[in-house]
Amino acid sequence: MKADRKETMRYLGYRGQEADPQTVRLIEEAAKELEGGSSPKSIYREYDCKVLGELVKIGGLEIQSRNLAVNLKGCERAVLLAATIGRTADFLIRKYSITNMAKAAVVQAAGAACIESYVDEVEEEIRKNARNRGLYLRPRFSPGYGDFALEHQRDLFQMLECSKRIGLTLTEGNLMMPSKSVTAVIGLTVLERESCQMETCSLCAKTDCEFRQEGVDL
Amino acid sequence: MSFKERLGTELLFFDGAMGTLLQERGLKSGELPEIWNAVREEVIFDIHKQYLDAGCDIIKANTFGANPFKIKGTGYTCEELVKKGIEIVKHAIAQSGRKAYAALDIGSLGKLLEPLGDLSFEEAYQAFVPMCTAGEQAGADLCLIETMNDTYEIKAAVLAAKEHTSLPVVVTMVFDESGKLLTGADMEAAVAMLEGLRVDALGLNCGFGPDVMQGFLPRLREITSLPIVVNPNAGLPVVVDGRTCFQVGPEEFAGVMKKIAGDGISVMGGCCGTTPAHLRALIESCRELTPMPLTDKNRSVVSSYTHAVELNGRPKIIGERINPTGKSRFKQALRDHDLEYIYKEALAQQDRGAHILDVNVGLPEIDEVEMMRSVVTGLQGITDLPLQIDTSDPEAMETAMRLYNGKPLLNSVNGKQESMDAVFPLAAKYGAMVVCLTLDEDGIPGTAHGRIKIAEKIIAEAAKYGIGKKDLLIDTLTMTISTGQENAKITLDALHYVRHVLGVHTTLGVSNISFGLPQREQVNTAFFTIALSQGLSAGIINPNSQAMMAAYHSYCALNGSDSQCQDYIGLYSEQDAQPKTSHEQSGFVSLFDAVVRGLAESASQAAKKELETKKPLEIIDEDLIPALDQVGQGFENKTVFLPQLLMSADAAKAGFDAIKEHLQAEGAASESKGTIVIATVKGDIHDIGKNIVKVLLENYGFQVIDLGKDVAPELVVEAAKEHKVKLVGLSALMTTTVANMELTIQMLKKELPDCKVMVGGAVLTQTYADMIGADFYSKDAMGSIRYANELFSS
Repeated sequence: MKADRKETMRYLGYRGQEADPQTVRLIEEAAKELEGGSSPKSIYREYDCKVLGELVKIGGLEIQSRNLAVNLKGCERAVLLAATIGRTADFLIRKYSITNMAKAAVVQAAGAACIESYVDEVEEEIRKNARNRGLYLRPRFSPGYGDFALEHQRDLFQMLECSKRIGLTLTEGNLMMPSKSVTAVIGLTVLERESCQMETCSLCAKTDCEFRQEGVDL
Repeated sequence: MSFKERLGTELLFFDGAMGTLLQERGLKSGELPEIWNAVREEVIFDIHKQYLDAGCDIIKANTFGANPFKIKGTGYTCEELVKKGIEIVKHAIAQSGRKAYAALDIGSLGKLLEPLGDLSFEEAYQAFVPMCTAGEQAGADLCLIETMNDTYEIKAAVLAAKEHTSLPVVVTMVFDESGKLLTGADMEAAVAMLEGLRVDALGLNCGFGPDVMQGFLPRLREITSLPIVVNPNAGLPVVVDGRTCFQVGPEEFAGVMKKIAGDGISVMGGCCGTTPAHLRALIESCRELTPMPLTDKNRSVVSSYTHAVELNGRPKIIGERINPTGKSRFKQALRDHDLEYIYKEALAQQDRGAHILDVNVGLPEIDEVEMMRSVVTGLQGITDLPLQIDTSDPEAMETAMRLYNGKPLLNSVNGKQESMDAVFPLAAKYGAMVVCLTLDEDGIPGTAHGRIKIAEKIIAEAAKYGIGKKDLLIDTLTMTISTGQENAKITLDALHYVRHVLGVHTTLGVSNISFGLPQREQVNTAFFTIALSQGLSAGIINPNSQAMMAAYHSYCALNGSDSQCQDYIGLYSEQDAQPKTSHEQSGFVSLFDAVVRGLAESASQAAKKELETKKPLEIIDEDLIPALDQVGQGFENKTVFLPQLLMSADAAKAGFDAIKEHLQAEGAASESKGTIVIATVKGDIHDIGKNIVKVLLENYGFQVIDLGKDVAPELVVEAAKEHKVKLVGLSALMTTTVANMELTIQMLKKELPDCKVMVGGAVLTQTYADMIGADFYSKDAMGSIRYANELFSS
């Protein structure tokens, strides 16, 4: 897990501009506190997968979602994944919101960079494991993307035993806590040309998102 | 013999996994195992039977997840699943003809407690209550609280079990490879709290196989005086061809467990992946062993939710600043419910090196119980230091102890019977170290001998409640030398005797010594140093005093407790090399520049200097606002970024504060541009965006009523009405909570048609905002400033 400095700056709104020395120092401090104080954890499990029209079946779970169906088309297996960098980021954000708001904002951004880098690591592990069996990964797809209803978080959490295994929980409103966490479905396909490693930004409804990457979607 | 009678005197055996075996028999991933108590009773019975046949003494009922949160929507109640679960075990035991015990098995609720999550401590407690009562009624012999990774949730469960049943309580936790719970708590912290709560046994389960757990046990044995339970997995889970497997076989499992058994363990069994075959092998190889006798480790500790502070070894600093006595600003903060002020005091003391924070929030005109509840909850969210609960109100004391995530220090009990009758039962129930003041019905004795007598009386009374000397901290009371030359000597003689003859830890409120004298710090530091050398275990001082902290660090270097003077050198060597390095001190910076560059200290200095020649309003209009505007403009043009914007806001605030102070000194009130209510809507608990907007609005001279996060629509309307505001700001992060935002707007528009609503947050767009009827959509923090400025100037 790494709090990539460039990613952190991107989350803070920088688009290639230089940061001033004070901000650079805050980013360094935040990165060190997060990298040193976080204990990232993840769990993933693999299931049979079937796509019937817009209905997706993963293990015993049934999901009605056109976007997910497109994402998993042709996959006979799928991985459910949950990952979190733990509570340190939330603690630091709360603490600095009282003493140093600028630093709270920087920790927020650096925490986002941390979970991204950590999920990439876990995905890499899954990728290697799949390759050995001649399988390729589809881009990861999370509840809340497109028409994949956020309510399915409940199902993922039960199937992965998130709270017991990695300390990740859901609030009444289906928000993940600790907040720097990710859940996702990753389809496994035998066809290499159908896999990709791009983000699927174009499927997302939030067209004015700060982080939307245009032109790279398949 | 009962479970409790046998515990610790002979080696007892828990059973192994339930879930693993149920999956083999068709339990689907995501399906609740507890439902099978009702629909597949024969399977559960058969599994219990197999474990009994293997020789297990304690059978865990299939009730682990039968809590109200997990079974919601299944059509069953918590009570019926628990009752059924215990009955199946009892039935299996009866049929086996063996002497065995039924354990009510309680797992985590699967929700995170406040302040991080949305579940309050009381709600967690209430969720455990029906499990406990149903379990005891159905005939459980003990309560096993297991697979826990959060001390706060454990505390809720233990209190539910202790207050609603008379069952013995066993707690086992999951530590990660670094030896910590998921909350960051280390073993010392967990043990301190659990021993304080007087559970019957504690230990480890799940997470790892026996080989890894073996590594944790020497330390655990060193720090706990209680019987230890070990229920490991059959190794680490491995995914093979998409299936989760546990690879440690019965013989290997039993082999490692046998080594562990000889090492001071009282109860062993298995968790995920272990089978009746594992348990049979384990019991066959260990049946003849007897556990090591239990010994009292005699540790004097308090703990926070992350770590324990031990009073042996180096003396400790208790920060005294969270206390309104003699501080008008602090009193005002309490009256205004300005908790942020209190939190800042806490964090400042932590930065200066305090080990424990005293918390006194009593004022005659406020509700101390409610204030204690808010402050203790809030402090636990921002500092990991143990707290010293300082109040004379027993209700406030109990409220704080109940909510406290750890083993606190209590301040205080004294030698009056009434005081001991009130405080010791609480300390015995919740667990605490207790500060004991050496005064009684006759006042404060004027001799060391008199104070020692009271100390002895308190020690004897505490023992009646099972509170040992290790959990007392005797205060021999500092009286000022300005009223009696002998005062220092009396205090110190008594202190020396208590520490070295009675063998009890000591504390003093150090600074009282100089009351009524000039240059008090000089006397305080000298007295502090002498007291330390006489055996002071923990000094209650002001850590913000550099002189006091210097005396402390010098003392530790001198008495050998600071190994190779490392801490001393680390703290003070830089001061020699670079006396003043801060660039803020390298020259005068104008107020305008200080704000633009985000230099808070310079801004404050510059504002003070300008006040000598300019009127406050001129400074605001000519320096502060233009500087903020320039930064805001830069932010919108993307030449200035969020951290800089916030640093500038901080600097501007320092400038405004200087002006406010000046106005108050002249008796004039500072003017507010207008009042705005802001909140993160119901269901949403991310509030950094809202907090940023708050800081900026305040800078532009608005008074902000911040309702916090997860705020119900009714509360927003109520606040808007009460403060007669014409602008409300709402934030939402998730698509799902935008619905609550819409509801809030509808209610506001209905009740207060003239009140405007601005909205912002990650998922919102202009389209969304229009759809839900907001008056303004702010895409970033500066947008809200612009809108508020326009609205209030028209």
